[in-house]
Amino acid sequence: MTLTRRGFGKVLLAGVSGFAAPRSAREAFAQTHPPNRSLINGVQFGLQPFCYHDLAMTRENRGALIRRLVRNGMGMVELHATWVEPRFNDPGVSAAAARDSLRAWRLSPPAGYYRGIRKELDDAGIAVFTYYVNFDDSYTDAEIDATFEGAKILGARGCVGSFGLAVSRRLVPFPGRHGMFIGLHNHDNLSDPDAYASEASMVTGLSMSPDFKMMLDTRHFTAADGDCVGFLERHHDRIAGMHVGDRRKHNGRSAPFGEGDAPIIELLRMVRDNRWPIVALLEFEHGTLRPEVEEVDLMFDYCKRAVA
Amino acid sequence: MTRILTSICVVAFAASIAAQSTPVHRSYDIEFLGAPLADPVLQHAKETFVLFGCAYCHGLNLVSRGEATDLMHSALVGRDENGNRIGPLLRAGIPQTAKLSPMPQFSDLSDQQIAAIVTWIHYARQQGRYQELTATPVRAGDATAGKAYFERSCSMCHAVDRDLSGIGRKFEVSALRAAMLDPKGLKAERSFTAARLHDTKLASAQQRHQALLENYAPEEVANLVAYLASVR
Repeated sequence: MTLTRRGFGKVLLAGVSGFAAPRSAREAFAQTHPPNRSLINGVQFGLQPFCYHDLAMTRENRGALIRRLVRNGMGMVELHATWVEPRFNDPGVSAAAARDSLRAWRLSPPAGYYRGIRKELDDAGIAVFTYYVNFDDSYTDAEIDATFEGAKILGARGCVGSFGLAVSRRLVPFPGRHGMFIGLHNHDNLSDPDAYASEASMVTGLSMSPDFKMMLDTRHFTAADGDCVGFLERHHDRIAGMHVGDRRKHNGRSAPFGEGDAPIIELLRMVRDNRWPIVALLEFEHGTLRPEVEEVDLMFDYCKRAVA
Repeated sequence: MTRILTSICVVAFAASIAAQSTPVHRSYDIEFLGAPLADPVLQHAKETFVLFGCAYCHGLNLVSRGEATDLMHSALVGRDENGNRIGPLLRAGIPQTAKLSPMPQFSDLSDQQIAAIVTWIHYARQQGRYQELTATPVRAGDATAGKAYFERSCSMCHAVDRDLSGIGRKFEVSALRAAMLDPKGLKAERSFTAARLHDTKLASAQQRHQALLENYAPEEVANLVAYLASVR
């Protein structure tokens, strides 16, 4: 069977979309979600908008975010909840009161709220791959379910966050009942036994549920002296996406792509050549004097050349 | 044929000259970075702070993001002198931490680059603290506590029976506070004239006042002003 680029895009999106979905659902999804503008040579790219570090992550700035994503040629995004949800931490409001208000809002969002945002994104040709939300002990079960529901309406295939093993254990029952996955996002704190930083900690997390997938952060794993290529080779079937960026080893600093120790080219070519449905989300924290949109262009060009 | 070759050579040469004279486009995010500073040393320090990613977590003007340390109010930064505390920390990072991401190490940076980062941290902190202190309304202070502060922190250079004799008669309270927070006599740029290259008196006075500015608490300023206002 010869797979065309367009056909492969459908397979890729179907694979990404339906870790727990039946085959027919995957096919239906592929038919309604054509390959987007940042599918390059079979590798689906997207952006983690932390890269726009001059743009506050608020729902008021969502329009500016969408314009920048389009300008950067991105068709997929990892959307942090703060781009979507209102804030309640006004001056004079205690942190506890703000948290209660946010919970109440999540449990009863305005009718059609998420659908309206989905339309904004659809109109711009941007698909939400994952919804970034930092689950912690302050979340009630109903709130976690409501968060998944909102993320699903936005089109997200999973929820990703910066949490450790303890919170992960509590999240086990949730993604499956929404037909979604939980993305485990590693950082590089090797001194914290609860943190996802070493390969062993990530394997422990993945073993908790088949609905748990890795959002492998190449910057942090490199800084934690991890073997990115080896990890991808061994665990590619449990990796939903990668935060693609560069850092130096031994808790080293962030660096422009190609100037650190992360094997970005090798990783992207592995995804390309093996046709793995792993989404590559660009994310960087290195400094630049250029406008962030230009910097994203440069880093994206580096990745495009890698898979050309 | 010769004429054609000559024409090609002329066009190629003209194109190469044009290429050489085309100004190099250097994109500079003026909205985020602000207009370039007049002092090239400070501008370089600022750019170094940004280029090595410090601004990403700690904020260009030290308004930190997320879990990064608040350098504007950090006690360690307040105690730093010429990078003696910040420098080693930058080189080693903070691998053992309760935070999500440890502070990275910057061991590959040169001494000059570390010095530039330290320069920007102190400069930005001085600007920020000055704004914080001047935004605080003038309030009555405790002259006794101000005297104790003066003897502890100011008396190695100043004396109320010498250079500050009768200062309370010469200035209003608001002017006293302004002069204390931003002494005009210390604004001179460092001189690179050989004879004045090592003008330690001015340099140490500047450094001492800047260090005080970085660490003043609002009540200390009020107390010190109350004390100086009482010197008549």
